[in-house]
Amino acid sequence: METIHIAATDRSPEVRFDFMANHFSLKGESYPEDVTEFYGPVIGRLEQHLERLEDGALIFDFELIYFNSSSAKVLMGLFDLLDDVAGRGCRVSVNWRFEADDDNMEELGQEFAEDLSNVTFNLVPFSDA
Amino acid sequence: MLAQQTRAFRDMLAREGIIFCYSGYITEGVLTGIGAAIKNKLSVETADKKTARGVFSLFIEQVQNIIRYSAETQSAPAVVNGDPLTELRYGIVTVGKLEGRYFVACANMINRTDVERLRTTLAELQTLDQEALKTLYKERLRGETPEGSKGAGAGFIDIARRATDGFEFDFIDIDDVHAYFAIKAFI
Repeated sequence: METIHIAATDRSPEVRFDFMANHFSLKGESYPEDVTEFYGPVIGRLEQHLERLEDGALIFDFELIYFNSSSAKVLMGLFDLLDDVAGRGCRVSVNWRFEADDDNMEELGQEFAEDLSNVTFNLVPFSDA
Repeated sequence: MLAQQTRAFRDMLAREGIIFCYSGYITEGVLTGIGAAIKNKLSVETADKKTARGVFSLFIEQVQNIIRYSAETQSAPAVVNGDPLTELRYGIVTVGKLEGRYFVACANMINRTDVERLRTTLAELQTLDQEALKTLYKERLRGETPEGSKGAGAGFIDIARRATDGFEFDFIDIDDVHAYFAIKAFI
């Protein structure tokens, strides 16, 4: 499957899904006008890809500045999907990157992590400086 | 006279601590524009990222509620085929700071038939602590989207979680069909 690359906008994140390398990332803001329209097609492609994935390693990087509650629902579904894949024997690593002084984004990452049993979830603070 | 009138209006806003006020039809473009302005203003005013993000988040969730649910609508004239997404929704949104705390307030028309459901939901959210709100939020994110909801149905829970100093709400009946709904959340 071809790599998906969608540039970030003021309200939607940069999407990079490299299916060959099994490296995926969402980076930026997430409060699109229509969450289903934005995420539906790319998550659909990801689901198709993951269905066929039996083993190997997968990395998913998140570096979100803000996401609204509609986006949170998408993220929750995405994490459940990744946890299922990891449960089938794939080594799934999630890197939840957040600005070091953004406690809230750290907590939101922890909340998603709490519900995952098979994914390796790394909280990765970074600073602009 | 004109200057006096607008000055009086400005003074009234200032007394309430209002930094931003928008009244009118709210579109996604308005949300984007005011959202960016609020972000800039807060980043200048407060070094506390958590507060700034919290206020921004309250603004987004409340405005998206207006866009999705305000019962005072006007179909955009340029639109044909009655696409409901292009209906303009009327509402008021204010962001301000008074006595050391930020607030985001919204008001819009709703259907009277929705008042009791909304009142019950919001009153229940007010009784929950952060841990219970988190649990409910996750349940809602995992669950089916509730009937009549156009988002995750988790917007008010998100507002309750972010409003570290609580929120108030109120309703008044306008006519047989409509009621006016107001909510104000504090950080």
